[in-house]
Amino acid sequence: MIRIKGATLTYKDGTTALKDINLNIGAGELVYITGPSGSGKTSLLKLLMGVEYPSEGEVLVLGQKIAKEEKRRIRRLRRNIGPVFQDFRVIKGRTALENVMMGVRFLGFSPKKMKSESLNALEKVGLKHKYSSLVENLSWGECQRVAIARAIIRKPALILADEPTGNLDLDNAVSILELLSSLRDDKTSVLITTHATHLIDNQKDAVFIRINGGRITMEQGGRA
Amino acid sequence: MKSVLFNMGYFLKEAYKTIRLNLLSNIFSFIGTVLILFIFALVITGWNVSNRLVLMLKEEAEISAYYEENLDEIDKDNLIGLIEEIDGVLEVNLVSQAEAYNRMENVLGNEAGILELFEENPFEEYIEIRIHLDETERVIDRIENIEGIEYVRDNREILNRIEGIVKTLNMAGYIVTAAVGITTIIIISHMIRQGIYENRFQINTLQLLGASNSFIGFPFLIAGLLMILCGGIIASVLTVIAINIGFGQLSGTIPFIPLPPKNELVKHVVVIIMTASIILGSGGSIFGLSSIKEDAER
Ligand SMILES: Nc1ncnc2c1ncn2[C@@H]1O[C@H](COP(=O)(O)OP(=O)(O)OP(=O)(O)O)[C@@H](O)[C@H]1O
Ligand SMILES: [Mg+2]
Repeated sequence: MIRIKGATLTYKDGTTALKDINLNIGAGELVYITGPSGSGKTSLLKLLMGVEYPSEGEVLVLGQKIAKEEKRRIRRLRRNIGPVFQDFRVIKGRTALENVMMGVRFLGFSPKKMKSESLNALEKVGLKHKYSSLVENLSWGECQRVAIARAIIRKPALILADEPTGNLDLDNAVSILELLSSLRDDKTSVLITTHATHLIDNQKDAVFIRINGGRITMEQGGRA
Repeated sequence: MKSVLFNMGYFLKEAYKTIRLNLLSNIFSFIGTVLILFIFALVITGWNVSNRLVLMLKEEAEISAYYEENLDEIDKDNLIGLIEEIDGVLEVNLVSQAEAYNRMENVLGNEAGILELFEENPFEEYIEIRIHLDETERVIDRIENIEGIEYVRDNREILNRIEGIVKTLNMAGYIVTAAVGITTIIIISHMIRQGIYENRFQINTLQLLGASNSFIGFPFLIAGLLMILCGGIIASVLTVIAINIGFGQLSGTIPFIPLPPKNELVKHVVVIIMTASIILGSGGSIFGLSSIKEDAER
């Protein structure tokens, strides 16, 4: 599902955010990525989404090579990914429902199906009652849940959630983590970055990865 | 394809939003488009009228042959017979002195009074010959050599001058057409560029979600086409009004100008304006859409 071999990510300004990363993640894994601020968690997810390209080494996601010349195919690859961005990227001037529908608009859903599935997704994140609210009138935590609904409605093969609990109270954080980890099945892998180590300690069957200074300093767990 | 059909409502709403977002600037662009298309329509109308005029003048190419005074009726008949046989001659008529007088009276209109200053009819009898314009030189040559013909008068000079004017008009027409095309494309593509710029966050998010650039660009294409089609329609309405006014004025002041049938002219101009709108609108939109950047804001 994900294969990273000796990947280094250096940004345009010369900052090296990831150094010599090696990582293999199979189908149906639940992966928690932790590490201090600025350690490279978001950078790793950017690499996996093809937003950045490895300056060295090789990155394969769902069989797709991440490289500049693969732009078009990377765009298609993203349709199989459910991204939850650290800054949510919800679109202002639109309702919660419209934002969630944005996740599947170009995937050939009929308008009816699109609406009912979006309402479903909102229900799963506990926001169905706010479906007609403009996102600028929602709280941060609520926006984050809209972003999560937009990711899960696509039933993607890979969920990449960047700090999905960052703005949530304990109860909500726990239920969102439960929701995301429940999406893991034979075909779906879930990658979650988080600072909230106390919430994930008790997770069984999960892979725990710790990044520090752009390097993987610890990797443990997994179903095997 | 399915995505396009399922999302038509969304695309239209997005297009409307794009137009609304920069309402004032878009209104100015719209007014500009209307004016440009209107000017274009006027040029096409002028073109149409002048071309028709030339065509008619060419069809009317005729020469007058004057013969020696001592000829009797039989000689004249023979002469007419000889001329009729020449290749390129369409019609031959004998114009009597009285008729020549009448025609001049008609041409002078209100000024016809001066003819009364003459004690007797100052016009000569002559043979009027309608000919094929392309054969002018040869026909004139032949007629001049017929015995009994004194001299031949033709309107080649006038025709040449009119053709010169028409050439200049055509040239101006081409320049205006090119200017209209370029300006319209610039206005429309700029409008779309601006919309894309204002929507860059949304566009980038859609890219991150895996939407294709054609899906992302479609609402902008609709917005551009909508603007220019409405512009074309308004310009057409203005043109129809202008043609109506123009026809009224012209036929009042210069009654013998050969104007084309009004309905045909209107149809012709409207078809051209709307076609040009669609072509220029698509061109401008596609130009504008090229400003969608790959993963612009990463
Ligand atoms: N676009 C960029 N250009 C240059 N440097 C960048 C860019 N994005 C991130 N960095 C740098 O790369 C390093 C890793 O950043 P990253 O965002 O991956 O950290 P993170 O682990 O996600 O942190 P946080 O927990 O605060 O979200 C940081 O030093 C950051 O300053
Ligand atoms: Mg981060």
